[in-house]
Amino acid sequence: MAEEKDIVELREKVARAAQLLLFRRHMQPGVKAWELKRDLGRNYLEVIKVLEGELGKLGLTVKKVEEGEEGSESDRYFVTMRGHPAVSEARTFGWRIDDMAILTVALSYILSKRGKAPLKEVERVLEEKFPRWRVEQDIDRFIRRGYLAEDDEGTLYVGWRTRAEVDQKALLGLLLGREKVSEEKVRPESESGVTEEEHEAEEDAQ
Amino acid sequence: MVTEGERKDLMLRIIDLCESVSKRGVDPFDVEVKEFFERLRAILPKLRDWDELHLDIDAVLGLANVIFHQGEWIKYKSSLLYLDPLLITWKLHTLSPKELSEVFVGSWHPVVDMECLTPHGIKEAMDYWTNLPNFGERARLDATEVLPEEVALQELARLGIISEEEFVTILERVWGELKERANGGKISYWDFITARTFEETVDRAWLVSFLVSYGYATLEVKPLEEEILLKPLPKPLKLERVATFSVPISISRSEWQRRREHG
Repeated sequence: MAEEKDIVELREKVARAAQLLLFRRHMQPGVKAWELKRDLGRNYLEVIKVLEGELGKLGLTVKKVEEGEEGSESDRYFVTMRGHPAVSEARTFGWRIDDMAILTVALSYILSKRGKAPLKEVERVLEEKFPRWRVEQDIDRFIRRGYLAEDDEGTLYVGWRTRAEVDQKALLGLLLGREKVSEEKVRPESESGVTEEEHEAEEDAQ
Repeated sequence: MVTEGERKDLMLRIIDLCESVSKRGVDPFDVEVKEFFERLRAILPKLRDWDELHLDIDAVLGLANVIFHQGEWIKYKSSLLYLDPLLITWKLHTLSPKELSEVFVGSWHPVVDMECLTPHGIKEAMDYWTNLPNFGERARLDATEVLPEEVALQELARLGIISEEEFVTILERVWGELKERANGGKISYWDFITARTFEETVDRAWLVSFLVSYGYATLEVKPLEEEILLKPLPKPLKLERVATFSVPISISRSEWQRRREHG
């Protein structure tokens, strides 16, 4: 009887944890460790583990992003996709090929410079490939969305959303492992490397 | 014999070098810490006043900070995340935007979250609606005059007036026209922007402002002759390497009419 009661209680806690993690209650998505502890009790990590098992069946997972010291109550938990979307799917989320490419360049460059790089330097690298107006617009947008962070001295850092969503080691690994597609295999492309058809498809998708 | 000027110069140079390590990400191993400490030690007995001693303290602290950065650098290099920056820059340079986007997507696990309306939110909305004066009353409310301001490109794109791709195409068309009409030289700003209608003229002036801001053309103002000249550049200029300034140019309907009539 007591066992049954425990199971019911655990189920309620798992449902509560799912609500906390999935429904946005602040400006940023996710929930802090202290909030989970307050709502789910001291054993909140066990509840999260059960929830993770349930979410796994849906292709989702719970990701912890450390903020401050290890085991800090400020650590933030998010629900993220377990795998990664395909490029075509990402475009239906409202991302353009150029946006993703600009973020890849900015993040890789910052990571290669030990996690911080002057904004001007990042812009200069990006302007070798993309028009200036798009670079400025995208960097502003990525700062607003939390993929990048900027301090008062004009230095760019990796933002909270990148830490939640991007596997930084995989990003650099994929970048270095990527072979340049030979010129013969490449279809005629516009200056940015995206064909007109792709741009049209992007527009249709949005 | 080291003069006072040389001593100060050495200490200031060390301080600047140390700052470039902490602020600009210069490799801390490029700083010859041992050699600088030896040189500071050699000049220490000759330091005369408080200013010099203060500089000496700053230099020593800076070098200590460089050693701290060297430690961090070693920790980072020995971590799994370290990859040669040159190799990464080279890769970024050679891959196409499509390939780069595939790299991003391959390492991307988007956050899943939902926005919802809470009972509190519904109550707030209901209160707002209940307390909202009717339209007739609102029309009589005091209104603050808002001065016209610059409309950002993103705002225009958001309003659906212009799309990003369209904008670049238009900008490049105007740039081409400017190059053709200037014929390798300069052209009067007013001659270039003046069109058949006032609206079209304002539109061209707006586009020219982007050509100049993005380094496709330069603007030369001759205050005595009251003349403004436009000079197209063969390729866009990197603006961070040149001094830039803003030139406000007022375009009124009467001015446009005058120029249309008198040329």
